Amino acid sequence: MTTTRRNILAGAALAASFALSPAFAQAPTEIELFFPVPVDGQLARDMAALIKEFNEKNPSIKATPVYTGSYDETLIKTRAAMKAGKPPAAVIMSANFLLDLKIEGEIQPMDGLIKADGKTNDQFMGQFFDALHGNAVLDRQVYGVPFHNSTPLLYVNTDHLKEAGLDPDKLPANWEELVATAKKLTKREGDRVTRWGMMMPSNYDYGGWILQALTHSNGGQWFNVDYGGEVYYDTPSMLGALTFWSDLIAKHKVHPAGVQAGGAVSSAFLSGQASMMLLSTGSLTHIRTNAKFPYKVAFVPKNVKNEVPIGGASLVIPTGVEGERRKAAWTLINWMTSPEKSGWWSRATGYFAPNKAAYDTPEMKEFIAKNPDAGIAVSQLSFAKPWFATYKTVPVRKAIEDELAAVLSGKKTPKEALVAAQKGADEIMRPYVEQTALKLPTN
Amino acid sequence: MLAPSLLFLALFTYWPVVQVLWQSLHGQVRVGGPQAYVGPQNFLKLFADPAFRKALANNLVYALGTVIPSLVLALGFAMALARSSRVNALFRALFFLPVLIPLVAAASIFLFLFLPNVGLLDYHLAKLAISGPNWLGDPDIALWSIMALTIWKNAGYYMLFFLAGLQAVPADAYEAAILDGAGPWQRLRYVTLPYLKPTIGFVLVIGLLNVVTQVDHVFVLTKGGPSDSTNLLLFYVYQQAVENYDAGRAAAGTLVMLALLLVVTASSLRTLERSFGEKEA
Repeated sequence: MTTTRRNILAGAALAASFALSPAFAQAPTEIELFFPVPVDGQLARDMAALIKEFNEKNPSIKATPVYTGSYDETLIKTRAAMKAGKPPAAVIMSANFLLDLKIEGEIQPMDGLIKADGKTNDQFMGQFFDALHGNAVLDRQVYGVPFHNSTPLLYVNTDHLKEAGLDPDKLPANWEELVATAKKLTKREGDRVTRWGMMMPSNYDYGGWILQALTHSNGGQWFNVDYGGEVYYDTPSMLGALTFWSDLIAKHKVHPAGVQAGGAVSSAFLSGQASMMLLSTGSLTHIRTNAKFPYKVAFVPKNVKNEVPIGGASLVIPTGVEGERRKAAWTLINWMTSPEKSGWWSRATGYFAPNKAAYDTPEMKEFIAKNPDAGIAVSQLSFAKPWFATYKTVPVRKAIEDELAAVLSGKKTPKEALVAAQKGADEIMRPYVEQTALKLPTN
Repeated sequence: MLAPSLLFLALFTYWPVVQVLWQSLHGQVRVGGPQAYVGPQNFLKLFADPAFRKALANNLVYALGTVIPSLVLALGFAMALARSSRVNALFRALFFLPVLIPLVAAASIFLFLFLPNVGLLDYHLAKLAISGPNWLGDPDIALWSIMALTIWKNAGYYMLFFLAGLQAVPADAYEAAILDGAGPWQRLRYVTLPYLKPTIGFVLVIGLLNVVTQVDHVFVLTKGGPSDSTNLLLFYVYQQAVENYDAGRAAAGTLVMLALLLVVTASSLRTLERSFGEKEA
């Protein structure tokens, strides 16, 4: 009896002390941030450091970073959380998923938040590179805030160039030079290749993006930028791009056959078993820290023109995040995409800072002077186009990635593969197309 | 007395089945819209999908190609290590070790084993001047690479059952066989195997169930690729449910899988009963 009474008294006293303390009066708004780690490196550790700093500077908010795997897995986990009725307050979402999420009504426009800050959409988006607007502004509404971005980049082991008697200051700039260089760099012992001249990742998610880069370099477009129901898989520019990749394997024998995972490509490059590779700028820091040899980077070699797709991720707020949590998420998003913070993240990871002003900060100027490779990556951004985004982006992308795998393994010709991919993608997008572009007035 | 277990069975087994049944007949008619009754459409779409047919065929190859080799290996291990001695105890532990490693961890290890050029496998092959294939990136080979992992992982597990089964073979049966002049092969064929029949049946059921329910390694190693060459039924269902966001088709796939499992277990149980019956007679 007495112990119970004492407990109650103690409890009451404790409650009273809580109620009186200022800490209790302003309990911080708790929000979660879902974040992916799509490339090699220590992004998870860096993210923890970033959010820790945010929480220290904003005592009224307590943000928790939640690691959610790859870009694809992050989409899945976000949707699962929303279905369970507990959407995270903010998500770093692969930029090309935004259209699909908007079509399904799963993310909210940020126009109201921007307006409350006294800005127009154009003013707000004006702080970011133009190439990023296509994957963030949908139907004139802002659905995402660019956080980190990338393009594919050509990485070259310059020791190997010298070894082969080539000029390390002249990196391949077009497809012809790329093939010629790769041929000289490839080393064989009998029939066995001991070093590949060129490697490109072709695993799910990466392969489609690299093929888009080749398609753009060949003057093509992957998809209808203004409408989420059309892809241009079965087109001459895409056929040229896919044939080029397949020729590197079957005809020139400078690229290994079959599907290569992104991690396998960077491992081969770092271990000296591949002399050149196309990989994301997001891997710059990883390569810089781990390469035990001098290397250089260059634009993706062109056939028709210099053009690459954007990659990377934007911050989004899911539907159903309201009130204080929505405001807190907005504070976090603005802080993370500020020139200082996006610059810091860029230096830590290798991704571009999407905020143009980041490159005017003294830290960034000093960093680029010290690491010219980062500067080359940035200059390629002016040749960038939006990343493919359609209704059901992941399956539509998988439709061509499965065919890409068949071509790289010598199972199908590029033409057969593209016809099949187009058919598969059209089938997946049909419900959307029928309810939008093909939904015509009946009388 | 039965009521509590029945309640749990209903709650966690039968009710979800009813829900899956309902879901398989419903789906989104309008993009971004609510669920509606669509009749057998999900099943029609399912069987029209080449990826599903591929997953079905893959699962068949995977089942035959993993269950039988692991079973034969396990029987071999068990017979070699049946007599208890210190050395045998060590080897039993070694063969059993893979069972203790979680499937995801094992797959992560194999991921590095299979890495082209730099992986352990290719590294050693290179010493013999052989260039290894692209273990996980070639559609003709990827499924077999995954099957190798499964066999490695399961053989030690099945060995345990066979070790137990061998204890049950009476020593005088062997003595009689030797007196009759039976060689090692005949002893295996006419003494050991008949006694092990129930164990073999049991291991078959366990093995076939594992084939359908384990996909962790597919997720880690290939994500079903390249070109769906390593896609298995359960992984296909996962893809439909969470990647393609098509709950209806996922439910239809689940029902097909459930039906297959029912057929497999029912027929295995009947065979098991029959072999037990024979022994008693």
